[in-house]
Order: sequence, then C-alpha cells, then structure tokens
Amino acid sequence: MSVPDAAVYVIDDDPSVRGAIKRLIGSVGLHVEVFESAQEFLVDRLPNVPTCLVLDVRLPGISGLNFQRQLAKAKIQIPIVFITAHGDIPMTVRAMKAGAVEFLTKPFRDQDLLDAIHLALEKDRSRRQQEAELAVLFERYKSLSPREREVVAMVVSGKLNKQIAAQIGTAENTVKVHRSRAMEKMQAKSLADLVKMMERLQFSSSKCA
Amino acid sequence: MISGHAPLPSSYDYGEVARSVLIAVAASYVALDLAGRVTTAKGSVRPVWLGGGAFAMGVGIWAMHFKGMLAFHLPVPVKYHWPTVLASLVLSILASALALYIVSRHKMGWVEASIGGAIMSVAIAGMHYVGMAAMRLPATTQYSSLLVTLSILLAIAFSLLALLMAFDLREETRWTVPRRLGSAIVMGAAVSGMHYTGMAAASFWPGPPPDLSMALSVSAVGNNAIGIVALTLILAAMVTSSVDRRTNVEFGRINQELEQRVAERTRELAVSNESLRTEIAERGRAEEAVRRSQEYLRLVIDTLPAMVWRKLPDGSADFLNERFRQYTGLSLEQGLGWGWMINAFHPEDRAQEEWRKAFAAGRPFEREARIRGADGKYRWFLLRAEPLCNEPGRVVCWYGISTDIDDRKRAEEALLEAQDKLARTGRTQALAQLAATIAHEVNQPLTAIVTNANFSLRQLANPVPNHEELREALTEVAKDANRASAVISHIRGLLVKEPAPRREVDINDIVQQVVALLRNELTRNRVLVSPDLTPELLLVQADPIQLQQVLINLLMNAVEAMQENPEQRRKILIKTARHADGVWVQVQDSGPGIAPSTRARIFEPFFSTKSEGIGMGLSISHSIIESHGGQLQASMPERGGATFEFTLPTDGAGES
Repeated sequence: MSVPDAAVYVIDDDPSVRGAIKRLIGSVGLHVEVFESAQEFLVDRLPNVPTCLVLDVRLPGISGLNFQRQLAKAKIQIPIVFITAHGDIPMTVRAMKAGAVEFLTKPFRDQDLLDAIHLALEKDRSRRQQEAELAVLFERYKSLSPREREVVAMVVSGKLNKQIAAQIGTAENTVKVHRSRAMEKMQAKSLADLVKMMERLQFSSSKCA
Repeated sequence: MISGHAPLPSSYDYGEVARSVLIAVAASYVALDLAGRVTTAKGSVRPVWLGGGAFAMGVGIWAMHFKGMLAFHLPVPVKYHWPTVLASLVLSILASALALYIVSRHKMGWVEASIGGAIMSVAIAGMHYVGMAAMRLPATTQYSSLLVTLSILLAIAFSLLALLMAFDLREETRWTVPRRLGSAIVMGAAVSGMHYTGMAAASFWPGPPPDLSMALSVSAVGNNAIGIVALTLILAAMVTSSVDRRTNVEFGRINQELEQRVAERTRELAVSNESLRTEIAERGRAEEAVRRSQEYLRLVIDTLPAMVWRKLPDGSADFLNERFRQYTGLSLEQGLGWGWMINAFHPEDRAQEEWRKAFAAGRPFEREARIRGADGKYRWFLLRAEPLCNEPGRVVCWYGISTDIDDRKRAEEALLEAQDKLARTGRTQALAQLAATIAHEVNQPLTAIVTNANFSLRQLANPVPNHEELREALTEVAKDANRASAVISHIRGLLVKEPAPRREVDINDIVQQVVALLRNELTRNRVLVSPDLTPELLLVQADPIQLQQVLINLLMNAVEAMQENPEQRRKILIKTARHADGVWVQVQDSGPGIAPSTRARIFEPFFSTKSEGIGMGLSISHSIIESHGGQLQASMPERGGATFEFTLPTDGAGES
C-alpha cells in the first residue's frame, strides 16, 4: 500500500461501530485504520502525513480521555475527534480543554463525523506545514555565522547600523556587510520580512522551551 | 512662882466627883450616839443635828468640868468670873461641834484624825484652863508643868480615842449599844482623868483678894441646877437621837426591805430578760438558718439549667422557677394555671386534652413540645413529670422539669435529612449508572445502525453503487437492530429478575412485611400508614419477593408524591379484601394525585413524572402482577391522592 496523503485512525471497542465507521470513512476516500483499544494503536507507525484520531471515550483498559492526556504528555500532536455513547457536559469540557477537535454523542450524524474528521485533518495539515516552514527557517538561521546572528538580533530589535557598529566595536561598513550577508542567507526580501522570520523562530523556540 | 507659904489645903467632895464622872460618861455616850445621827442625817437636817448634838455634848462636858471644879473645896471662898465661864462653855461646844463634824464624814484618815484630835484637845484643854482661870479666890494659882503636860497629853489621847471610837461606832449594828456604852465609860473616864489631872496640876497659894467684878458664887442649888440642866439636855439629846434612830431604823428596814424586793424583782426581771434575749437570739439564728437554706434552695432551683415546675393533679401549674420566666419572658401570673401551655406552647403542641389525659393517668410521663422563648422563637423541650402520691395513691401534685433539647432535636432532624439525602443520592447514582449502562449498551448498536444506514444511503446516491458493500452494511444494520432489542430485553430481565418458584402466601402477611420493611423510610418522611386489612386469610400462589417489590414500589411512590404535603397530611391507606377473582389490594395516598393527561402513560417503561425517576417502577410492577395473572391499575378516587389497586387470582393461574 502506497503512502496515503492523509490517514484516519479509529479506536472503538464495539466491532459493529468500528466496522460501520470504517466503511463510512473509507467511502469518502480517506485512508482509515481501526483499533479495538488504545494499546493496540501503535503510535510509532504513524506516517508523516496529516492524520487524525476518532476516539471512543469508554474503552477497555485506558479510557479515551486518559489516552488523550498520555498523547499530550508524549508530545504527540494528533487531532482527536471524541465519540461517546453517553457523554455529559463535564466530560465534554475536559476533552475540549485538552484540545479535542470535536465531541460527538452516539449515534451521530454521518456528516458531523466526516466534517469533524476533515477539520481535524486540515488542522494537522496546517500544523505540519508550519512546522516544515519553521524547520527551513531554522536551517537557514543555523547557516549564519555567530557575528551575523549577533548583528541580525540587533537589527531586529530596531538598532541603527551606527549604533550596532559602536556596540560591537567595528566599522559601520562592516556591519552593513554582515547585515546584507545575513539577509541573503535567510532569503529575506526586506527588513520587515527578516523581522517576521525572526519572530517566528523566537516564538517556536520559546514554545519548545 | 515660889512662895514661902504652904499652899492652901484642898479637898474633894467625892459625891460631886462621882456626879461629874457620871455626866462625863453620859456626855460621851451622847457624843458617840450623835456621831451616828449626824452621819446618817442628810440635807438641811444635818446642821440641826450637828448644832444640837454639839450643844448637848458641849454642855455635858462643860458641866462635868464645872461640877468637878465645884467638887474641889478650898478653905477660902471661891467665886467665878461668869464671862470666862461662858467662854469655857463656848469652847466646849466648839470642840464638840468639831468632833462631830470630823466623825460624821465619810472617810477619816490618819491625817484628819490627827488634825481633828489636835484641835479638839486644844479646845478641851483650853476649856479646862479657861474654866480654872474663871476662879476668883484670894490666892494665886500655881501649876505643876509636869501635870499640865500630862493633862494635855491625856486630852490629846482622849480626843483621838473619842474620834476613832465615834467613827467606828457610828454605824448602827446589833452590838452598837453595849459597845457604845463601854466606849462611853472609857471616854468618860478619860475626860475625867484629864480633868482631875489638870486640877491636880494646880496648887493654890494664899494671896490678895481677887477682883470680884462680874464674879458669882455658885450655891449648892446652882451647882445642882447645872448638873440637872446638863443631864436633862443630854437625856433630851439621847431621847431625840433614839427616836430618830428608831424611825431611821424602821425606815431603813422598810427601805431595805423595799430595796431588797426591788433588787429581787430586778434580779428576777434581769434573769427573765436574759432568757428572753437568749430565746430571741436563738429564734433569730434559727430564722436566719431557715431563711438561708430557703434562699439556697431557691437559688438551686432557679439556676438549674431547666425549667422546674410544680403542678396540681389536673396539670395546672402552681409553681414555675425563674428559668421559666426568663426563657418565656412571661410573668408568673401568665404562666400559672394552664398559662404555661396556652401562653408559651407552639399551637401544634397545645393538645390540651392529651395533656389532661397524661396528668389524669397519674403515672410519670415524658412529652416533647415546642416552647416559645422571649425572643419569639420556638425551641423543643422535653417535659418530664413525676407525680407525688399520698397513701391511697392519689396524686397530690406533680413535679417536673422541662429541658431544652432543641439542639439535639435539630441535630437528629439534620441527621435524618442527611440520611435521606444520602439514600436519595445513592438511588440517583444507581439510577444514573443504570441509565448510563442502558444508554451505552443501546447506543452502540444504534450508532452502528445509523452509520451503516447513512453509508448505504451514500452508496445509493452513487451513480454506481457498490452492491457488495451495500449488502454488507445492511446485513450489519439488521444484526445491530437485533442486538439493540436483545439489550433492552436483557435490562428488563435484570430489573424484573428471574421469576422465583411460586408458593402459597397470605397477601396480608406481605403487606405487613412491607410496612415493617419501610418503617424507617416512612418515619423519616413523617408518613402515617394505616392498614385496613381484612381478617380473612387471603392466600394466593405467588412469588412473595416480587409481590413485596410491587408493594414497596407503590408505597415509595406514595411517599414521594406526598413530600410537598404538610406533615399531618401524609397518610397512606392500604386495604385488602376478597375479590370475585381472588384478592384485591389497594394503596391510596393523600398526595396531589395523577393528572388525567399522564394517567394513560404511567405504566409505560421509561415514563416518569419524577425528575430523578427512570420510569421503570410501575412498568415492572405492572408486568409482575400480569405475570401472576392479575391486573394493576390506577383508579380515580373521589377525593385527592393517587390510588393503585391490583387483583391476583387465588389459583395463581398466571404465566410462569
């Protein structure tokens, strides 16, 4: 089986429900895999494509809500659509707060489930794209020399070439050279572009830290 | 003066001497006697006695002297210069007055005695020698200084003796008269002795004729007259004194007697006074003790942390302690009689007839009641009454206390409420769990059905439906639909349980068992159950557990339906009777009843008018009765409240 462009995973202990959902999702052309329990669902095998998880709340072994928490702890970012036969408000709130995309009560409308799945996949896709862009930016940033990084940081914070030269104890022309080299390496079309790039890098690094 | 001549020979007329001594003794006696008189005399009588006595005594002493001088005979004519004689008489009287004055004083020390004696002796000696100086005779008088001195010493001795004796004898006693007589003789002798010593001191020598101016000679008649006058005076003084003394003695005796009586009476009075005082003091102490113990008891009764009261046999109060007044804020008058109930009890606790009955029964009893405090709030009190009975066992009065049990009561109520809530919560939780199970169990096949059906619809919408998949999906739908149905019947089976083997039971027994089983629940909800059971034996073939289940369900529905009712209107009536087909049981409550709109649906499963109900109770009960071949239905009573009744055939011809 070739690598699909998106994958949907379903965990539900009821074989009828599992089968019906698999049939429904498959009918809209999505790659779908079903599991009876959270333990069966093997995280390592996830393909590097937009994915989402359709998760039953009441499961044998680890409950759906606990599994959501475990995934978050393991920093596995997979959008979750909850389905439950008997949901109450506190349960819903907990799931949504923990980042669930949707919370559907069985029996649900087929369109509601498909919409939720599409939304989840879209979320995952955009997340993946952002991460890829950020990775590119980071690669470019890594190619800067220490001096260029220093100059870029000062430029981004709004300092003039003259000021930067005075601070690092070099000629203004030298600063100009560093600056243009850095712009080139970062593939920034303008100063505004560079500032934006640096902000994204800073934001993601602070989030990771 | 020494002369060559021999002194004139002298001689004494001894008769005269004897008379003079007699006069001396008489004068002495009167002197001693008068000393007593003067002492006892008081006020203005005293100077009279002093003067009279001094006069009589002075005259007596002087008369003795003069007689003594007249008893002295000289061979020459002797005349007397009368002014000098008079002077000597005056001296004698003065000496007597002095003596009487001294001895009549209350006290006589040695100083007074000495001074008095000295003056007296000078006066007497003076009288003597002045008297001798009055002699007018043709001779010169020479004195032997030795004898003169002796005579003066005698005068002093006599004076002292006289004073001491007189002082000593002035009190009237039994032995006074003889002792006074003896003393008078001694004194008389002393006076005479002094006189004759003085006479002996003088010797007369012939000399020129004297100056005879104002000189008289004393004839024998004169001489006798002097004696008689003196004795008369003395006698008069004695008689007067004696009369006075007798009067005095009588007075004294009467006086003394009176005084004695007064003293006795006073003593008696003092004694009875003293005993009265003691008695009063004792009574005072006893009263104080009684008062204190009363106060103490009152304090104990008033500070006890309870209302203390005493009631008459009928229950009307005749004593209420301070606590009652403090708590209720009522006056004693408002609380007495039946006021303690009418003015202070909660209207619902004022069943006067019941109270009267309790008091009339005459046995100790306890009751609870709400009593209004001064702040207008009611608190629960426990009243305990104990009768005091007389010999035949009749109640004399009631003693009792009312203790505040409000906190305990409220705690009990809170506990009951908490238990109730807990039970309710437990039930709710169990129901919630059951509901969740049902939802989950039923929802799983439903989800699969819905999803598969939707999938099928989508396939059908395709221009080229995949028949294979369609068949698969629809097969699943049918399978899941059957599964859902199985779940429902499974749950129903869980609730209805396995039918137990039937046996013969008396429906009345079942009713009583259920009422006993629910006693706690009924009490907690203040529901009164009145069973009206037929005395007949109502035997049916049935599963007793299932019948109990039906009755419990009906009773609990009734209890819940009446929760909004006031406590006195929470009643359940259970009736049993024989019926044409078998037995008939009816459960009727006093709740709001069943609305006509819902009556048709109450036996449907999952239909409930209760927020916490799952709507299974009546449905299950209905199927239980049906399974026994009977019928359960809600009937429409004439007055309020829901009524359920069921019949069961006697032969138990129900489905098994």
